[in-house]
Formats: sequence, structure tokens, C-alpha cells
Amino acid sequence: MIKPSHEPHSNLIKFTMLLAGAVLLLMMIIGLLMRAAQGDLIEIDAAIFYQLMTAHGAGMVGAASLTGAAIMWYFVSRYVHLVQEVFVVFLTLFLFGVLFILGSISLGQFGAGWTFLFPLPAISGGAWETGAAAAFIIGLILIGVGFLLMNLEIGRKLISTFDGIGGALAWPVISGKVAPDDAPPPAIVASMATIIFNTIGIVVGAAVLVSSLINLYVPSFEVDALLAKNMIYFFGHVFINATIYMAVVAVYEIIPEYTGKPWKTSRIFAIAWSAILLFVMAVYPHHLLQDTVMPAWALIMGQIVSYLSGIPLLTVTAFSLCVYLRGSNIKWDLASALLVLGVAGWSVGVVPAIIDGMISVNKIMHNTQWVPGHFHIYLLLGEVAMSFGFMAYLIKEAKSSEFQMIDKTAFGVYLAGGIGFTLMFLVSGAMSVPRRWAVHAEEWMLQDRIATAFALLVIVGALIFVARYIIGIATYRRT
Amino acid sequence: MQLYVLALSLSLMGFVSLFFISAVLASRSVDASGSESVSPSPEVRRKKYIWAMFFIGIIVTFASLWRYPHTISNSTQAQAINVTGAQWYWEIDKEEVLLNKPVVFNVHTTDVNHGMGVLNSDGKLMFQTQAMPGYVNKVEHVFTKPGEYKVICLEFCGVSHHDMITEFQVVAKKENKND
Repeated sequence: MIKPSHEPHSNLIKFTMLLAGAVLLLMMIIGLLMRAAQGDLIEIDAAIFYQLMTAHGAGMVGAASLTGAAIMWYFVSRYVHLVQEVFVVFLTLFLFGVLFILGSISLGQFGAGWTFLFPLPAISGGAWETGAAAAFIIGLILIGVGFLLMNLEIGRKLISTFDGIGGALAWPVISGKVAPDDAPPPAIVASMATIIFNTIGIVVGAAVLVSSLINLYVPSFEVDALLAKNMIYFFGHVFINATIYMAVVAVYEIIPEYTGKPWKTSRIFAIAWSAILLFVMAVYPHHLLQDTVMPAWALIMGQIVSYLSGIPLLTVTAFSLCVYLRGSNIKWDLASALLVLGVAGWSVGVVPAIIDGMISVNKIMHNTQWVPGHFHIYLLLGEVAMSFGFMAYLIKEAKSSEFQMIDKTAFGVYLAGGIGFTLMFLVSGAMSVPRRWAVHAEEWMLQDRIATAFALLVIVGALIFVARYIIGIATYRRT
Repeated sequence: MQLYVLALSLSLMGFVSLFFISAVLASRSVDASGSESVSPSPEVRRKKYIWAMFFIGIIVTFASLWRYPHTISNSTQAQAINVTGAQWYWEIDKEEVLLNKPVVFNVHTTDVNHGMGVLNSDGKLMFQTQAMPGYVNKVEHVFTKPGEYKVICLEFCGVSHHDMITEFQVVAKKENKND
């Protein structure tokens, strides 16, 4: 089996995770304020609420993508030589993008949501000026360019080291020409697949962003709203899914350090990742199931691929982890617990997502709180849990680590808070409570208030994770 | 229907969670059955799960798509309503529709994307469709209970998105206004 042969860029990645951890905490606090406002526990003006909502969406997607990118870069750089300066440029562009986005919201009162659904950025009803919308779009483009550079650097190194795209995707293992022992490690296969679909997604996203930007200043440059919607949801779906697929690399690489058993690229693993590569790109019409002008075949494909997407996750990644854990004598600590939680949360969260991907169910659930319900499960208890697990790993040695009481408490509080918080979304969705409403009816507020309390628990847990990380990077140096 | 969806989802989520909980509990076990490389049984079980998911998927797909959920019946009895979304109000060209007869909503917008969601008097979402610039989305529904129904916006459309609410009536028999 191919073993790590390079020193990863530890300090750069530790700094990146520190930034991401701080942003995650800040965005969680914004989320708490939004739920408290919906529950009438505090008063927030509607315009401010929608600005906070835009910041929360963009900030969470940004922070999740940053942690995913850091995880992928860290582990890929153990197998191939990556030019560190490329990541520095990526991070710089990312931070400039964040500045533009924050400026557009705080100074320009931009509040069209992170999905910038055309033509809302241009038609604000007097809530924000064209310049604010332009700043937001430019911010997203800067972040996208940074991601493209990073993806190209990793992609070209994987292609040259592992004998082409097919080699890095372990296709010779599928065809039986290469034994699993000689296959690229799972981290490489997952990274290659993710880089391909995320690059395509970002290019499509950049095209619709630039079109929207031109339309802001030249309204006669018209963009077809249906085409724009397709492009935005293709980009949005691929990008947010890529964050999870990048983060799961941490599970493939770290868990074996805790068990002493290698995680190999088997034939089924290679098939699963090639399927994921196709499914992630083909599934996006499930975001347009209520646009009845869409061709029926596209919406039917969205429903079917939505279901199929669950198969590689549940029967390969989740199943393999469960099989792998049994009798493994794994050493539990904060890192290993959070990484396993991350895969569990992702797997559980995919259930309400698949059910909502059915056209007939979507007709009564789409854009209710059911939607934030399922995506908060596989982000809060999935991707973000994996990221916190990676942070815990960065500051401790797997072999000597202990699951201390403070860590157990933080883990329990975060898990309980996450379950309660997301459950309230699902219950509200089943009660037809619309998502993205600044003002809630009296009869919806009980769930809002309970969710606020659970959100507080999540923040307490996350605060301890980040505080332990800050103390850890000051005192621990990985050998 | 929504409560069935919630119950089914929570049951399946619990089922998936149990897999992880049992694996975590068994992680300390000295039983080596977890070693994927030495025991064929996990691979056999995996194949069974994959085929089971395919089989269930085929059944669910056929059952749920046998009649395409967005079918417009083109019935001669269908009542047509034109619904226009705009920041931040709805315009509906009929205030009343008839009970037990198909109603076709022709939904469009004069500015940005909106989402037309129809709630019954219990606040339950009956159906929805999007309103998109340059297009007319059609959705058909047969109302089986008379009363007041609300139209709300389900696609974020700006600062007064939550204020886009209007009503219409479903009546058992069309009233003659000249009576």
C-alpha cells in the first residue's frame, strides 16, 4: 500500500483551521440570534434578519468549504509534493472574498441570501444598492478563483503521480489490473473525484456570477431566469457537497491511526467514488422540483439520482466504517469520536434529504423548515463535526491521546444540542413552517424557542472545541 | 401526509443511527469479525444492502412516479386561476374556486422568483409551485374541503418576503352574484 512520504504543511493548515473555527463559532451565534428572533425572544428588524441570514449562509458555506479544503490539502500533501504558495494564494483570495462579502452586507445592507438567486441581487425593492450586490458577487468570484487554483494544483499533481485521472480514481482496481494493495489510498481517490466535480461546479458558478454582475450594470444584458437557476443550483449543490467529500478524507486518514488497521481502496470503494463523481453533478434538478416548466425527464432524473446518491454513502462509506470499527479496539478521544460522529451525522441527514427529493413529497415540504432540517444534520453533525475532529487531531498524538472529561462533556453537549436543534427544524417542516421567514406566527414559536436553547448547547460545545484547539496549537507540536 | 413523512424519516434515521451505535459499542469487542480483509461476511452483507436499496428504490420510484406529480389533466371542468407574484404581494384573478373540481394555477412573476404555497385553514401546506421571471409554472389541485385558503411565498424574495400573504375561498357551489 502506498504510504505517506511527505511532511504536510502543518502550520499553514493549523492557521487555516483556526480561522475557520472562529468563523464557524461566529456564524453559529448568528444562527442562534435568528432562531431567537423567530421565537420572539429578541427583536430583530426584518431587513437586518435577512442580512444576518445572508451572512450566516455565506459564512457557513465558506467556513465549511475552507475546512474541507484544508483537510484535503493536508492529507494529499502527505502523498505528493504540493506547492505551499498555491494554498497561500487560495487563502488570500478567500479572505479578500470574505471582506467583499462582509462589506456588501454590513455597509451595503445586501440581503439576497447566499444563493444570490437571479435576478434578486439586481431587484432589491430599495433594500440595497447595485454596488452592494456587485461587491457580494465579486466576493464569491474571488473565493471561486482561489478554489480553482487550489484544485488545479492538487489535480495536476495527482494526475502526474498516479498515472492520469483514471489512475487516481483507482479505475485499474475496478478492472482488476491492479490489486487493492497497490491502489492509490482512499484519500487520493476521494480527492481526485472531488476536484473534478468541484472544478466543473465552480466554472458553472463563475459563469452565472459574471452574467449576474454584468446584468447589474447593463440590464439589457438579459439572463434567462430558468437557465440561471439551473446553473446556480448546479454550482451550489456541487460546492456544498464538495465540502463534505473533502472533509471525509480526514476519516480515511485519521481513523486508521487510531486502530492500526489500514483503510484500503477496495474495488467497491473505487466504484463508489466514480459513481459519486457522476451523481453529485446529475442530482441538482432535485432543487428545482417545483419548477414545473422544467422538462419532466430532468425532474424525474433528480428524484432517482437523489435516491441513488445515498447508496454509495450508506453502503460503502458508512457501512465500511461500521464494519471497520467492530472489534477494532479503537482508542476513543475527541478526534476519533467527532470523526465517527461526522460520518454518522452525514448518513442520518441524508435520509430526510432523499425523502424530500421525491417530487410528491417535495410538493409539500420544499422550502419549509424541513430543508434546513436535513442540511443542518449533515453539516452541523456531519461536515462540521469532522472538521472539529480534524482540529482535535492536529493538536494531539493519536497513540497517547486521552478522552478527558472536558472533551467528553463538550462532545455530549454538542451532540445533544445538534440533535435537538435539527429535530426542531424537521418538526417545524412537518408543520409547514416556511423557511427563511424573519417573522413567525405565534403557533410556530414553541419549536423556535426550543431550538434556540439547543443552539446554545451547540455553541457551548463548539466553544470548548475551539478553545481547546487554541490552547493545543500553542502547546503541542506534532512530530 | 407531512406527519407520515416525519414518522418515516425519524424511523429510518433511527435505523441508520443504530448501525453506528452498535458499531461503536462493538469497537471494544475482541471479536475479529470486524476485520473486512479476513472475513467475507461483511462483503456479502454489503452486497445484500446494495441490492436491497436498489430493489426498494425501483418500487418507490415506480409507485411515486406512476402518475407524474405535476400532471395537468386538461379536464374541460378545470378552473383556471392566474396568480402573479411581485415584491411583495400576490394578485389572483379569482377570489373563489369550486370544490371537488380541478383547479389549474398559472403562476408567474413580474420581478424576481417567488414560491406560491397554498395553506389550508389548519395551516397545512397543500401544494406549491415556483413563480419565475419569463415563465408560467402550472400546478393542478382538487380541493376537497371548502373554506379559506392562504397563499404564502416560499421562495426568498427580499425584505418583505414573509408579508406576501393573500387568501381565496373554496366554495361548494358557485354563488350567483345577481341573486
